Amino acid sequence: MDQVTQAVNWDEVSAEQLDAMERKIAAKYIKKFPLGIIIWGFANTLIWLALWPLVILDLLPIWAAFPIAVVNVCAAYLPSHDAQHSIIAREGHKLRWLNELLGHVSLIPFAQSFRYLRFTHFEHHAHTNNPDLDPDFDVHAENRKVYFRNALMRKQPINATRKDLYSAALERVGKSTVAVDAIAIRTVYTLVLFVAACSGYAIEAALLWWLPLHIADIYIPYYLSWKPHHPGTDQGRYQDTEAFKSTFGNLVSSGMQYHVVHHLYPRIPLMHTPAAFREMRPILLRRGCDLRGM
Amino acid sequence: MAKFFKIVFSPIVFGLLFWAPLIAQSMTAAGLQIFALPNLIVGLFIGGGLGLMAHYRGSWIWIK
Repeated sequence: MDQVTQAVNWDEVSAEQLDAMERKIAAKYIKKFPLGIIIWGFANTLIWLALWPLVILDLLPIWAAFPIAVVNVCAAYLPSHDAQHSIIAREGHKLRWLNELLGHVSLIPFAQSFRYLRFTHFEHHAHTNNPDLDPDFDVHAENRKVYFRNALMRKQPINATRKDLYSAALERVGKSTVAVDAIAIRTVYTLVLFVAACSGYAIEAALLWWLPLHIADIYIPYYLSWKPHHPGTDQGRYQDTEAFKSTFGNLVSSGMQYHVVHHLYPRIPLMHTPAAFREMRPILLRRGCDLRGM
Repeated sequence: MAKFFKIVFSPIVFGLLFWAPLIAQSMTAAGLQIFALPNLIVGLFIGGGLGLMAHYRGSWIWIK
């Protein structure tokens, strides 16, 4: 593979040259077709759906299905995240349908709306760490303990602020109607829980969907929003996102150790951000990015 | 329509239609019974109580 930053005398590189090198590296990875995330998205939803008949028909014990369901629900967001950024195919491309289908299908275990998350996520990118405009700003917390406490408290009916932040973001971009998707999906989710529970499958519904979803709802914002944007005080292209070294590795941290690359070039597929990061690293250091030793 | 959503997302309804059967079925699975009461009654009492607390206090876990 041709390395753009190989054998460069960094003292002689101008800001314009840095910019050109950075864009060249990004373009190389943006061109790559993200087959892995497509397989991941569809397979993850299929496995999660398969758990229901397997458990109900007593082919798989619930204690074995529960951890699988937790992994499925926690892994449901990222394929949709790539689709939100049209990484599989942009508008007008012949595979655009696949991009949109992946976005919708992969979110089924997470019981969320693709369009609702897409437009609010674009606002997060446009206004990262802006206390008034970033819809994910409420995840910020001074430390991990406070993050988990806040995440638990956000789940209480009295503290449903995230819903308001997302509604405000959608209103700003003239996409308030997509909130209907989110309400419809959450209604179906809630009704499925009620019907399953009242039909004698309450434990199954709780351990295959309700509890995994609550775990995912704390885990996903932890690695996607809190950790890479912590402390949430800096704004600007090279300041609002940091690299970090996860104790649990890149897989458990959802590939977010390299989230800085995603914020600079959102169309680089998730699975290629580590390679893009390694190649961009010297440039990012010269840009003043906080890479936290990565 | 608004009334329908208000009901679906009401903590009291969640307490009665999800927590109550969950508590009752969990007790049955664990072989538990309280004062010879049917487990569903116990579930409705606890689930309904949690739902009432979430509705009026705004928190499922008391603290807020």
